Amino acid sequence: MISFTSKAGLAVLLFLTFSVASSRAQMASNRDADTAAIKQFVANFADAWNSHDAHAVAMHYVEDGDFSSVKAEPSHGRKELEDHYTTIFTTFLKNAHTTDTVRSIRFLAPDLANVDIDWLVTEPSAPGGVLRKGLLTWVLSKRNGQWMIVIYHEQSF
Amino acid sequence: MISSRLKVALAVSVFLAFSSAPAWAQMPSKMDADSAAIKQCVAAWEDAWNRHDAHATAAAYVEDGEFSSTTGIPSKGSKDLEAHYNEIFTTFLKDAHRTDSVRSIRFLTPEIASVDIDWQMTGARTRDGKDAPNRKGLLTWIVTKHSGQWMITIYHESVF
Repeated sequence: MISFTSKAGLAVLLFLTFSVASSRAQMASNRDADTAAIKQFVANFADAWNSHDAHAVAMHYVEDGDFSSVKAEPSHGRKELEDHYTTIFTTFLKNAHTTDTVRSIRFLAPDLANVDIDWLVTEPSAPGGVLRKGLLTWVLSKRNGQWMIVIYHEQSF
Repeated sequence: MISSRLKVALAVSVFLAFSSAPAWAQMPSKMDADSAAIKQCVAAWEDAWNRHDAHATAAAYVEDGEFSSTTGIPSKGSKDLEAHYNEIFTTFLKDAHRTDSVRSIRFLTPEIASVDIDWQMTGARTRDGKDAPNRKGLLTWIVTKHSGQWMITIYHESVF
């Protein structure tokens, strides 16, 4: 006959086992949801970029976000970022189109991720139509449930 | 005449003002110490690289660290990283010398930082053994602090 104490002990053990298992499952599903949200965010950024909407593109960054060009020329903060995008969208990239494909996501913390994105910019007057291809590397932070760019680097090869 | 209750309140507020002041001062000084430690980590890595010591170069990464080349070719984990450095140090970069200079550090948390590093290289060869022009570009590292030691978690490099 099992004593009341061991029954209670068993109940506690079962409860703990289930709650650990369900919190593990929760973490995995949060991560899946964040991965999906990040991919959606990258797609939204490409849409804003392809609409040549400098304001909308800059709004994908946190207030004090950092951008660095293929030549490592920096822009810091939303105002400079919007100016940068206004310049490129009205000059050498005014007929350009970007295709961004997420290559990998590495979570540095639950609300912090590094994302590598294969990048292809086409432009009608470029040789073979391809102006640039390379890799974008973004550090994203989740703010009030929304993933945003903290740091943007790009390399062309 | 000041009541004893007021005296106590005054004493407490003076104590709080002085005890919270060092906490305020502590934050920037910790960040300064971490910035210095990160610069030291970059200098030690540069030194290992210039000695063409593949093991020491790879040991600057965390166990599951990630490298991505100027053309986006990845190596992941200590074993792959060391094999990568072994290969470059015995072939087209065997006479190469690099100079790395930290441009900026952005702390993402107290123990995670993004580091931009200007790099230059002389003495490189092409894959078929001819002299290659000098190269320069930007390294972009994500470094993380483990048991007090800053290590490379993600390494990207661009050339321009």
